[in-house]
Amino acid sequence: MPALRNKNCNYVSNKEINITFDGKSYSAYDGDTIASALLRNNIRLIGRSFKYHRPRGIYTCGIEEPNALVQILNEHNEPNTRATIKKVYEGININSQNRWPSLSFDVGSINNFLSPIFSAGFYYKTFMGPKGFWKKIYEPLIRRTAGLGKPPKNFRSKSIHQNHNVDILIVGGGLSGLIAARKLINTDNEVLIVEQDSFLGGILKNSNKVKKIDGKSVFDWVKETEKLILESKNIKILKNTLVTTYNFTNHLIALEDKFAGKDIDTNKAELILHKIRTTQTILANGHIERFISFRNNDLPGVMLASSFEKYIERYGVVPDEKPVIFTNNSSTISLVKSLINLNCKPGAYIDSRKKKDIEDETKDYLSKNNIPFYPESEVEGCEGNKKVEKVYIRSSNKEISSINASMLCSSGGFNPDIHLFTQSKGLVKWDDKIISFKPDTAFQNTITLGSVSGNYEFKNLCNEINKKLSFLKVNDLNLDIELNIRNDFSISELWETKINKTSKWAKSFIDLHNDVTTKDLKQAINEGYDRIEHLKRYTTNSMGTDQGKISSINSLGIVSKILKKKISEVGTTTYRPPYAPLSFAAIAGRSTYEYYDPERKTPIHNWHTKNNAVFEDVGQWKRPWYYKKYETETMHQAVQRESKQTRDTAGILDGSTLGKIEIKGNDALEFMNLMYTNAFTKMKPMTSRYALMLGEDGMIMDDGIICKINDKHFIATTTSGGAPKVFSHMEEFLQTEWPHFQVYLNSITEQFTTFNISGPKTREIMSKVFNKIDFSNQSFPFMTFKIFDYKNTQVRIMRASFTGELGYEIYISPKHALELWELIFKHGKDFNLVSYGTETMHLLRAEKGYVVIGQETDGTVTPIDINFNWMIGKKKKDFIGKRSLTRSDTARKDRKQLVGIVPLDKSQFIEEGQHVVECENLPSKIKTPVEYLGHVSSSYHSPNLNHCISMAMIKNGNKLMGKKLFVSTSKGTKNIPVEVVNPVFIDPENKRLVS
Amino acid sequence: MILIDCPYCGEREQSEFTNGGEAHVIRPKNPEALSDKEWGQYVFYRSNPKGIFYERWNHSHGCRKWFNAVRDTSTDTILKIYKLTDNRPDISEFKSSLKSPSGEPAVGSGNFAVKK
Amino acid sequence: MTKILSLNGVNIYQKNFQQILVRGDGKDQFNQTMNREISVIPPSKNLEIKVNDQFLIAKNSFDQWTLIYFFEQDYKEILKFISKLNSDDRILASDYSYGQVYFEISGKNKDEFLNKLTQFDLRKKRFSDLSMAQTLIARIDCYIYSFNDKYIVTCNRSYEDYFKERLIDLANLH
Repeated sequence: MPALRNKNCNYVSNKEINITFDGKSYSAYDGDTIASALLRNNIRLIGRSFKYHRPRGIYTCGIEEPNALVQILNEHNEPNTRATIKKVYEGININSQNRWPSLSFDVGSINNFLSPIFSAGFYYKTFMGPKGFWKKIYEPLIRRTAGLGKPPKNFRSKSIHQNHNVDILIVGGGLSGLIAARKLINTDNEVLIVEQDSFLGGILKNSNKVKKIDGKSVFDWVKETEKLILESKNIKILKNTLVTTYNFTNHLIALEDKFAGKDIDTNKAELILHKIRTTQTILANGHIERFISFRNNDLPGVMLASSFEKYIERYGVVPDEKPVIFTNNSSTISLVKSLINLNCKPGAYIDSRKKKDIEDETKDYLSKNNIPFYPESEVEGCEGNKKVEKVYIRSSNKEISSINASMLCSSGGFNPDIHLFTQSKGLVKWDDKIISFKPDTAFQNTITLGSVSGNYEFKNLCNEINKKLSFLKVNDLNLDIELNIRNDFSISELWETKINKTSKWAKSFIDLHNDVTTKDLKQAINEGYDRIEHLKRYTTNSMGTDQGKISSINSLGIVSKILKKKISEVGTTTYRPPYAPLSFAAIAGRSTYEYYDPERKTPIHNWHTKNNAVFEDVGQWKRPWYYKKYETETMHQAVQRESKQTRDTAGILDGSTLGKIEIKGNDALEFMNLMYTNAFTKMKPMTSRYALMLGEDGMIMDDGIICKINDKHFIATTTSGGAPKVFSHMEEFLQTEWPHFQVYLNSITEQFTTFNISGPKTREIMSKVFNKIDFSNQSFPFMTFKIFDYKNTQVRIMRASFTGELGYEIYISPKHALELWELIFKHGKDFNLVSYGTETMHLLRAEKGYVVIGQETDGTVTPIDINFNWMIGKKKKDFIGKRSLTRSDTARKDRKQLVGIVPLDKSQFIEEGQHVVECENLPSKIKTPVEYLGHVSSSYHSPNLNHCISMAMIKNGNKLMGKKLFVSTSKGTKNIPVEVVNPVFIDPENKRLVS
Repeated sequence: MILIDCPYCGEREQSEFTNGGEAHVIRPKNPEALSDKEWGQYVFYRSNPKGIFYERWNHSHGCRKWFNAVRDTSTDTILKIYKLTDNRPDISEFKSSLKSPSGEPAVGSGNFAVKK
Repeated sequence: MTKILSLNGVNIYQKNFQQILVRGDGKDQFNQTMNREISVIPPSKNLEIKVNDQFLIAKNSFDQWTLIYFFEQDYKEILKFISKLNSDDRILASDYSYGQVYFEISGKNKDEFLNKLTQFDLRKKRFSDLSMAQTLIARIDCYIYSFNDKYIVTCNRSYEDYFKERLIDLANLH
């Protein structure tokens, strides 16, 4: 028989839907949460606990739930979903977690009887040895028995981010939030209200504590308020959205569940991460009820009193018709009234407060309705087989009696939900009147309103809000609030009741999520962990995914008693974001898979694709790595083919990714002389020069070719990856050190598409493509450039080479680039022109002994280390990094230096990144370190020499020419014998280059 | 992500900026005249205080201009922003505006969310 | 002009504009040089733009301006104009015509849509009509110009496909 329904509830529809839990089908209503749906079907056992595998049920009715975590099979197998907030829909398929083979018979529950060894710090103590046991035995064992749900499968995020810039953010659409919003309607402030539930109203919908507002039913008042807000021009509402994070400068993060109560459309954004920047934050996020520790306070059937009330009022389900109620405060009487209204009667009302402190209205109401009343009493514990069956009551005379009951509602008072306030770096203060921490000093523009500020008096609410918002110069709002409870709040301190009956099974929990008992706290303190931050980590108290929302203040209460300190002296642990678990998918947003990083493509990209290029990521750029001539061609075959063909005839590379910077101004020459190692003063106009840029530490930062148009106008190229760095490095010195220089810089990387064409046939091809230009050696010598009109645009051609062959670099506007590229191919066909990719580029430059910045160099290499002494303008008084080249460390003679190495046995191949050593074999067991001379920085099989060529950075390399050394391999202990040689393998006389 | 008030573009989010380390470190006029130690001091050594720090920022994803800021490193509060051409503000200007979120000690971090 | 997307309150078109990036000191001689060529004195207030039927000219920072032509000019004329500007040693003008791509974004929900890609505060009171900004949109460097109740967004051409895909992706997820 289904549980009793509260037909007056306005928040759940009459539409019946079917849901599946642990393989069985159940009926629920549209608007139910998983928890309310299960309670409707009288299901109270929901899962097994984290450590002891004890049976657990639904403890709360919201985000604070420590127990009822489930797995949603039809939503990417989403684990650890809070049954108390997840809305159901037709066809939702839910499984309980952490049980095997089934929920009611769980093998892991043996842990409960082994519990003496699972006490505080047991992970630290138990698994210390012997060596190797952790990986082989302990970890697999723990992984199987401890823990939560199973990880999701095949999940691709469709979550998006939404930024907001507002004047005022109101966190919480409850009574306080709505009063604040009503005051702000049609003012100049842009306001955003964020509400975690799908309905506004907070305590108005979750309880029957408030009877009427301004004579209207609370439902009507909320409806009216919402209508006014939606009609206003300045206020927006986000529902099903939870604020999880409060950062500096009033930046808050909130997570919206776009498909709350609906089947997910996987083609749409499932979660939206709202990033809200606001001038003023109003926290009206309420309070959370806390529990009380007693014997077996984790049994299914034990529930927080206000949660029970919320199930009745918000979800229209009465989980039990005769629950026993246990409280230490004045608020719980509204639950009794809710039940009586539905002709239900609590089994008993147990109030730990002194009889004289209990309100007369409460006493009268209980006696009028014949409810067994136990003042100055407490629940000692409860018992039952996987559910509450008996409740043990310690009466004022200390005698214990038992009554039969199937549910037990407890209330240990309320904590202002200070999580977000402390995240914002606000200070909190202990309040003896409510026995909890409440916000004190804000660090940012933060205001707390209502119960989060520690104000539990409804009748004082308007006054508080009017006062706190007066600085906004908005009209006062005074509402007539009629209550079902007393306006003033009364509570007596009670954290834990004394256990009378002890057994192996009996436990009094302080953290239900992580299975921490009050005994664990005491034991940890005995062992010396008396600081709250240490205690938390040692016992794992409040470290679960619920972050101890219903229990962390209780643990402070218990600890303070043991330490004989005030709670304010014990202090709290730090509240860190997020407030509640936040899916990684939401954090990542669309920055995954295809949008993981922005992609840059050159204007020739589509041609490359059509010609079967395989692409390589160079920073964000997609560059052709090699081109497949036929389907089965391997990378090695393609690179060998491209390299050979380029040296035999001609090859062309898309070099558009090269960074380009235009430098102009009266002081351009002096500026360039300071930025680069080279001297530019004597350089003739319209010539170019290979140049090096150093950091102030003397280490190579970048290289490139500098074109000098005249003393006041230069164009520099940079490496593809180094372009932004070089540009900002130049700007930095211009702006900070030499603002008196009249020099301007523009990045023109994207404004010119660049082709590098090289090989012995290049001159013939170029003469055909640009038939008006004289490419002869006399009129177009090496390291000169020309700018000329071409069709409707301009072209700059520079004679330069990165392969060691005769070569040109062509610069043209991106709009005209593809056409020119195709024209070059049209003419190049007769000369066997090949397009080559970055791998061939690397191979060809290695044959010539040219270095690649970032491959041979790694930020610890000076120009001298790679034999670039000739690039240093020694006569220049100063340039960036010059002084560092003579520091004792950089001037050292035994630094790693660039050499070439070749295997003695020409059939062997040297791997990049391997170590260069002096020993023929590595010892099979390394007892003392093998002396290491350096590493192989580049290595290729040269198709033009038909053996392996390598470059290496080794200690004192220049003095080791001709010496036999060894290079380690990834395959075994036998090293490859090699010879140290000059790193220029092809054309050391530069005949081809200047031909 | 904090907000930074670029003197040329106005308030923008931190993601648009690059931190440039300590401000007012001037490149020596005559590097060759310096000893290794003196030069090393300029190249490698920077201060790292808890509290008031004079630092450089570059609006790298905006106008690309450099400017200086005075920041309280313990709270990430920017106390002043000024152009490179402005004078270095005196430290006494900020002493009173230092606001510790949790009454922290001068050295080290601490989590003291409870008002004493 | 190519339509990229059109959905409830958001319309995005790709435009064939041309652009020149000018660096200079913004003083009299600079203004006169510019005025001679385009018959408009460049804006002197930071982030301000001036618009007419033919082009917009915007001040990007204290020493940088962008000039964007709304209708394709003879490219030779643009290059000629650039070389005229560059004949003054104290000015650096670079052709930015085809290295950039241009998007026009309009519609009443354009701010909300763009705020899925950028944290930039697009509210009128912070980003007024006839002003511009350089900021990050979809994690790439963009220029954004606001006038006539629409935005012109420009970014490097290499990001064209990525940027368009991100816009369309968001529209599909809407």
